[in-house]
Amino acid sequence: MKRPGPKHYLLAPGVLLVSCVFLAPFLLLVVLSFWTQPEGTLLVEPSLTVENYLRIFSDPYYLRGLARTIWLSFATVFFSLLLGFPAAYWIVRRAVRLRRIVMALMLLPMVCGALLPTLGLVNILSPLGIINGSLKQLGLIDRSIPLLGTQTGILIGLIQAFLPLMVLPLVAVMERLPLALEEAAMSLGARPPQVWWRVVMPLAAPGIVAGSVLVFCAALTSFVTPQILGQGKIATFAAMTWQQASLVLDWPFASALAMVMLLIMAALACMVLGFRRLNWVRP
Amino acid sequence: MKTCWKTACSVASIGLVLGGASFAQDYAGETLVVGTWGGDIERLLREHAAGPLEEATGAKVEFLLGGSGDRMAKLYAEKSNPTMDVTFQNIYEAPQALSDGLVVAPDESSEIYGDLWEGMNDGCYAMSLVGLGIAYNRDLVSEPVEWADMWNPDYKGMIAMAPYPSSEGDGLLGVAARLEGTDEHDPDVAFAKVAELGAPALNYTSLDEVFALMDAGEVAMAPMISGYVLAALKEWDNIGFSFPTDPGPVLVRDMVCQVANSPNPELAKMFIKLALSPATQEAYAEELLFGPTNSKAELSEEAAADTVNTPEEVASLLQLDWPYVISQRADWTDRWNREVLGQ
Repeated sequence: MKRPGPKHYLLAPGVLLVSCVFLAPFLLLVVLSFWTQPEGTLLVEPSLTVENYLRIFSDPYYLRGLARTIWLSFATVFFSLLLGFPAAYWIVRRAVRLRRIVMALMLLPMVCGALLPTLGLVNILSPLGIINGSLKQLGLIDRSIPLLGTQTGILIGLIQAFLPLMVLPLVAVMERLPLALEEAAMSLGARPPQVWWRVVMPLAAPGIVAGSVLVFCAALTSFVTPQILGQGKIATFAAMTWQQASLVLDWPFASALAMVMLLIMAALACMVLGFRRLNWVRP
Repeated sequence: MKTCWKTACSVASIGLVLGGASFAQDYAGETLVVGTWGGDIERLLREHAAGPLEEATGAKVEFLLGGSGDRMAKLYAEKSNPTMDVTFQNIYEAPQALSDGLVVAPDESSEIYGDLWEGMNDGCYAMSLVGLGIAYNRDLVSEPVEWADMWNPDYKGMIAMAPYPSSEGDGLLGVAARLEGTDEHDPDVAFAKVAELGAPALNYTSLDEVFALMDAGEVAMAPMISGYVLAALKEWDNIGFSFPTDPGPVLVRDMVCQVANSPNPELAKMFIKLALSPATQEAYAEELLFGPTNSKAELSEEAAADTVNTPEEVASLLQLDWPYVISQRADWTDRWNREVLGQ
């Protein structure tokens, strides 16, 4: 077995940093999720219990919140794929001159953070926003249609925020697909939909899986977008965790909620690794 | 000119408030960390407490701005090694912080304690008094506005509420229970009554947000805390604020706390003394319409009319059993999410 040489020590600063700022708080979170907060105090009692986890999985309120969050995440993945796949294909095959500009625009929501685009959406969707304002001006409605504080509003925000996470892996994969493959399929009589369905899609599968996992995880743990667009009326799992941690100050329970979210993502990662091992997603 | 004069008075009175200049420059190099809300509150504290303290002691005062929930979280996270010396909390937080040993109990033998109105110092020193009343659209709601009007079917779905947990939410539960002939110790009745209002039209997190929708007629009424609201309402012609009578407004207090085992306890005590001094309390009342807790504060007629500022007024306000309400916080948050927000 090869012993680590001096060049491996170059990893030390990075490993140390990650250990201090990520692993240590993470382990604390794991331990905290098994502690309790006795009645009448906000202090934490370090006695091991699974009470917090039992509460999550026995209380319909938290199960509903979990189901709602998973549903919103899947819906975000579905619509991101629906919008992102043609966009990625167009960027790779058609946007020759505009490619850099389009990619920059695509990256913009990620670079400027979640807050700015979400607040922009508030101006569009709010009762005094562009949509309701226009409908009122046209005399079509008297009172505003609720767009904020609805699952539809949150979904629009999530798709807008995480579409780049779908498009970028797709572009990376499609770039490596030789155009000759599509031309060969066409020359053998395949029609464009068949070329898409039987050639491009299977070959782009690794990008689809990577993009879907990224979008799903981002949507599942997203806090700012659902909180602002949900207006505190739609509770996602991240919002429930925040409420318990920051407002109720029940950190053990908030830690358990966070761990459940993490376990879902870990399960998803295991599934993807399993698919890879079965060679389902390799080109 | 008025501001300059006021500042001069503040600086002149600092010697009296702090008990002379015997410790001038004694604290040079020290930094007092004060957690409070940003905006006007920070400005007034900087002007009337931090500035004079820095001048008299040579110490530096650093403000940590944010919501009181963030400060509570910080208090608990740093319980064995606090970095804040003074923190401003809501009435629904201060008694809990004291019972968990995170703040120092108000010193009953101190001079400033004697100046504050009796019965106000729960957990920490009472900093200001405000009442939970009703902000309303004048075109939609006929005056005088009472709590029962919020349950008028005409306004169903047009009531804005603050997110829970909050003083506003607890106050509304207390009011709802009393409308049903009971009090906050009967949460089933209180929650059932609040749930009758339906999901709120808006969970407001800022005054501008709720006033814009109220002005547009999207929101008819909102239980809100006087003070800031009354000060802000001067810019909105068609929005009014009612101190209801049946039951009365709910008494809400901001508290100032000395953090237990903080790095600078002596400076913390001096800062608190300045914050509770008549000069700061008068500025709070005149500029923010926050009622003073210091009985020696003297207000203009205008400020006196819009603030809770006499023992009689305090007595007319509805006082919740805060220790009980605080003990129910986790359970009531769950109930609010389910029964009021319908999540």
